[in-house]
Amino acid sequence: MEAVGPGTCGGGDAALGAEGRPAPEARVHFRVTRFIMEAGVKLGMRSIPIATACAIYHKFFCEIDLDAYDPYLVAMSSLYLAGKVEEQRLRTRDIINVSNRYFHPDSEPLELDSRFWELRDSIVQCELLVLRVLRFQVSFQHPHKYLLHYLLSVKNWLNRYSWQRSPVSITAWALLRDSYHGGLCLRFQAQHIAVAVLHLALQAYGVEVPAEAEAEKPWWQVFSEDLTKPIIDNIVSDLIQIYTMDTEIP
Amino acid sequence: MDRDLMRQSLNFHGPSLLSLLRSEQQDNPHFRSLLGSVVEPARGPPPQQQLQGRKEKKVENIEIQKFISKKADLLFAVSWKSDAPTTSEVNEDDEERYAVMPPLEQFMEIPSMDRRELFFRDIERGDIVIGRISSIREFGFFMVLICLGSGVMRDISHLEITALCPLRDVPSLSNHGDPLSYYQTGDLVRAGIKDIDRYHEKLAVSLYSSSLPPHLSGIKLGVISSEELPLYYRRSVELNSNSSESYENIMQSSLGFVNPGVVEFLLGKLGIDESNPPSLMRGLQSKNFSEDDFASALRKKQSASWALKCVKIGVDYFKVGRHVDAMNEYNKALEIDKQNVEALVARGALYATKGSLNKAIEDFELALENCPTHRNARKYLCQTLVERGGQLEEEEKFLNAESYYKKALALDETFKDAEDALQKLHKYMQKSLELREKQAEKEEKQKTRKIETSAEKLRKLLKEEKRLKKKRRKSTSSSSSVSSADESVSSSSSSSSSGHKRHKKHKRNRSESSRSSKRHSAKASSNQVDQNKKDECFPVPANTSASFLNQKQEVEKLLEKQDRLPYQKKQVKEKDRCPLSSSSVEIPDDFGGRSEDPRDFYNSYKTQTGSSKTEKPHKSERHFSSRRDSSDSFYRNSEDKIKIYGYRRFEKDTEGRKEHYRRWEPGSMRYSTSPASSDYSWKSVEKYKKYTYSGSRDFSRHEQRYQLNKNQGEYEREGNYEEDIKTEVPEEGLSSKEHSESGVKKNLPQNLLNIFNQIAAFEKEKGNKPKN
Repeated sequence: MEAVGPGTCGGGDAALGAEGRPAPEARVHFRVTRFIMEAGVKLGMRSIPIATACAIYHKFFCEIDLDAYDPYLVAMSSLYLAGKVEEQRLRTRDIINVSNRYFHPDSEPLELDSRFWELRDSIVQCELLVLRVLRFQVSFQHPHKYLLHYLLSVKNWLNRYSWQRSPVSITAWALLRDSYHGGLCLRFQAQHIAVAVLHLALQAYGVEVPAEAEAEKPWWQVFSEDLTKPIIDNIVSDLIQIYTMDTEIP
Repeated sequence: MDRDLMRQSLNFHGPSLLSLLRSEQQDNPHFRSLLGSVVEPARGPPPQQQLQGRKEKKVENIEIQKFISKKADLLFAVSWKSDAPTTSEVNEDDEERYAVMPPLEQFMEIPSMDRRELFFRDIERGDIVIGRISSIREFGFFMVLICLGSGVMRDISHLEITALCPLRDVPSLSNHGDPLSYYQTGDLVRAGIKDIDRYHEKLAVSLYSSSLPPHLSGIKLGVISSEELPLYYRRSVELNSNSSESYENIMQSSLGFVNPGVVEFLLGKLGIDESNPPSLMRGLQSKNFSEDDFASALRKKQSASWALKCVKIGVDYFKVGRHVDAMNEYNKALEIDKQNVEALVARGALYATKGSLNKAIEDFELALENCPTHRNARKYLCQTLVERGGQLEEEEKFLNAESYYKKALALDETFKDAEDALQKLHKYMQKSLELREKQAEKEEKQKTRKIETSAEKLRKLLKEEKRLKKKRRKSTSSSSSVSSADESVSSSSSSSSSGHKRHKKHKRNRSESSRSSKRHSAKASSNQVDQNKKDECFPVPANTSASFLNQKQEVEKLLEKQDRLPYQKKQVKEKDRCPLSSSSVEIPDDFGGRSEDPRDFYNSYKTQTGSSKTEKPHKSERHFSSRRDSSDSFYRNSEDKIKIYGYRRFEKDTEGRKEHYRRWEPGSMRYSTSPASSDYSWKSVEKYKKYTYSGSRDFSRHEQRYQLNKNQGEYEREGNYEEDIKTEVPEEGLSSKEHSESGVKKNLPQNLLNIFNQIAAFEKEKGNKPKN
C-alpha cells in the first residue's frame, strides 16, 4: 500500500468546504468516479479492476490540478490502464463506445472514422501521461481481499441464523465498492478500510459480535493490530460523507 | 422490505433510528406502513443497561443511524439479500483456495465459559464434529470434541465438551462381535451431531451418515487420521503454541491469501454476485442499467453498421466491375461482423458470378441461417442451386443434381426454374434408366442364351448320338463306308487323346497335334483361339482368346460355377428325352455359342477326375455315375459303352493333363513352348473332352468333321497322329489298357477296336516307364 498521509490528497477533510459541504472539486471527482464505476459495470469489469481504475484516477488528481486535464478522459485512460494492471484486458473501442453512450444516452455508436481513431489516440496518450504522473506506480493493495477473509472469520463466530438473516457480506462489499467514489483508498490502509466497512455493515443491521464485551481484544483489533477506534470512525464518517454526495448529486 | 431485519436494526439502534427513519423515509409507502407496526416492539422493553452502554456511542452512532435511515430502502430491501447459494464446504481444505484462519474467538481471547455457551447455542443437528474417544462403555463411547467439521468453525478444543455415541449409532464393521471393539480410546472420530440438549449441554452423535444433511452425505464418518483434521484446527493448534502470531501475519503468510483466484472464490463462498455488483449509490443500481448500454451490445451494433458500410463500398466496386476490390470489402465486412447477412449475400453473389457456385451456396445458406427472412438470400440461393444442379447434370451426377433442385424447391416452391430443371432431369434419368435397363436386359439375354446354347448343344449331341447308335446298329458289320467313317472318328479321337498325353516329351508334336486337332474344330467352330504365335495363322475371335487367357485366374470362379452345372445338365437331360431334330449345319454354331461352357465342363471334370484319382479304374464307371447324378441317368439313357469308355479315357486324360498343366503353370521355361502353347493343350483338352464326354454320342459329328477334313485334304494328319500314338505312351499305361479292354468287350466297331488295341500296345510298351 502506498504510504499516503491522511488528508494530503483525494478529498477527505479538504473536500469539505467551509460550510461543511463538499467542495466543488470533490463533487467533480464523485461524478467522474461514478462514471468510472458505471462504465466498469457496463464493460463487465470485476470489482478490483474498477477499484484500481478509481485509485489511479484519484491518485492522478492528487498530483495534478483538476483544470489541467479533462477528468473524463483521465477516467477513460484509468479504466484502460486498470484493465492492463489487473489483467482484465479491455479494448479501447469498448471504452469509447460505453463512454459515448454514457455522455450521449440513446445515441448510436460512433462510426469508426478518423474522429474515432483520434479519440482512441487521446486515450492512449493520456494513459502514458497518467503512467508518468504516477511514476509507473499503478499497483494497489485493495481492501477487498482482506474484507472477504474478515467476513469469513466473523461468519464463523456469529450464529449462523443471525448471519443468514443479515446481508452483511453484500452490504460490506457494496460499501467497499462505493468507497472508491472518494479518495479513501489513498488515505487509509486497506485493512483499516476493510474493517471499517465491515463495522458499518454490522452496525447497519444491528448485528453484534458475540461476547465482544467479554473479549480481551475487540474483533476489529484482531484483524489489524494498529487499528484504533478513531480510525474506524474516521473512515466510516468519510464513507458516509460520500453517500451524502450521492443524494445531493442526482 | 425485510421487517425482521429492520426490527433487528431498530432494536440495536434504539428509538433514535426510528425517528430518523420516519423523517427520511416518509415518502416511501413501504416504510410508512412498516414503521407503524415496528413502533410497538421497538418501544417495548428497552433494557436499561444496554441503553446506557449505547449512550456512550451515541455521538458516533447518530451519523451511522442517519446513514441507515437514508439508505434504508436499499439496505432492508428483500432483493438486497443475495440468493446466490454459498458454495459447498466439502473438501475445501484439499487445496487452500484462501487463507484458512484460526477461529476469531481465539484471537479475541474470549473466556471459555462464553465460548462453551455460544457453542451450545450455535451447534446444530447434522453438524460434523471431530473428537477423541475418551472412554468406551457397553452402551457406546464418549468422545471429547476437539473441532468442528462443518457449519461454524469454532475453537472448542479446550472446552472439554463430551459427546456420547450410543451403541445403536455405531455401525458394525464386521458381522460378528461388538461393533465397539473396533474403537479404542484415543481414536480420532468424525461423527455427525444427532441430538443436542442445549440446557444440559449434552450431545449425542452418530457414525451413520444418515445423520448428516444431504450436501454432506459424501463425508465418511468414523475413525480418521490426524492428517484429516481440518486445516483451521491445525492452524489454531499452531496459534496456541505461538500465541504471539497476529491474525494478519497468519493471513499474509498463508498460501491461499496470494491465490489469484481468492477473491472470486470467497465471493462465491459468501454469496456475493460480481456480475450484478451491489452498490448503495442510487445512481449505480446496476438493475437500472440498460442492456443496450453494455459494451458487448454496443460493439455488436457498431460492428454491424461498420460491416454494412464495407458492404456498400464493395457493392459499388462490384458495380464498376472491380471484383477483387469488392471481394476484399466483403471479406473485411465479414471479418468485422462474422454473421453479417448483407455481406454474406453480397459475397455469395460475387462468388456466383465468378462461377464458384459451391462457395456462393455456402454464403447464401449461412446468410439464411442468420436471417431466415432475407428475400435476396433466398432468391439467390435458389438460382445458384439450380445452376449448380445444371453443372452437376453435365457432369452426369444426376442424383446430386436432383438434390440441388429439390433443395431449391424446398426453399421456394414457386421457383419455376428449379421445377422445370427437376422435371427435365427426372425425364432424362428415366430415359437413361430405361436405356440401362435395356442394356442390362440384353446382357441378361446373352447370358441366358449362352446357357441355352450349351443346353441345346448337349441336346444336339445327344440326338446325334442316338442317330449314330441307330446308324451303327444298322451298319455294324455291313456298311463299309460307315465303318470307315467310324474308323476315322475313332482314330481321330484316340489320336487326339493320345496326342494330349504327349505334351511332356514332344512339345512340338504335341502343340502341332493339338493345333491340328484344333484346326478341325477351328474349321467347324470358331471358338478356337490363336495364341498370338506368329506362326499361327488361324483366324480366331478375340473375345474367346481373352477368355482363355483369363482362364487360369478364373478357375476358382469356374469351380464355383460347377455347382450350377449339374442343374443345367439336368435340364439338358430332360430336354434330351424329347426327340429333337438337328441338322448337322447347326453344329458349328453350336460350338461357337459354347465358347465358355467347355471350360466349365472341363473344370467340373477336372475336379472330378482329381477326386477319382485314387479310385480303381474299373470302378470308375460306377463312381462316375454316382458322382454325377445327371450323367448317370444319362448313361442309362444312352446305354453306350463306348461313351463310357470315352468318359474314362477322358477322365484319365484330363488327369494326366492336369498334371501337365500343373507342371507348366509355374515355370513353362522347361518347355520349349511358351505358356500360350499350354493353353493350346488346354483347349485341346476341352475340345477333346467335348468330343469324348459329350462326344461319344456324336460320332456322327466326328464323322462329319473328318469327312470335312478329308475334303480339305487335311486328313493325312491323322496318320501322324497314329504315329504319334505309336511313339508316345500315355502315363496311364496299364490302367488305360484296362479301360480299353473293358471298353472293347462291347460291340465296338472293328476299326475302333483295332485302334484301341494299338493304343494298348503302346501303353504297354511305355507302361514301365516312370512318369515324368
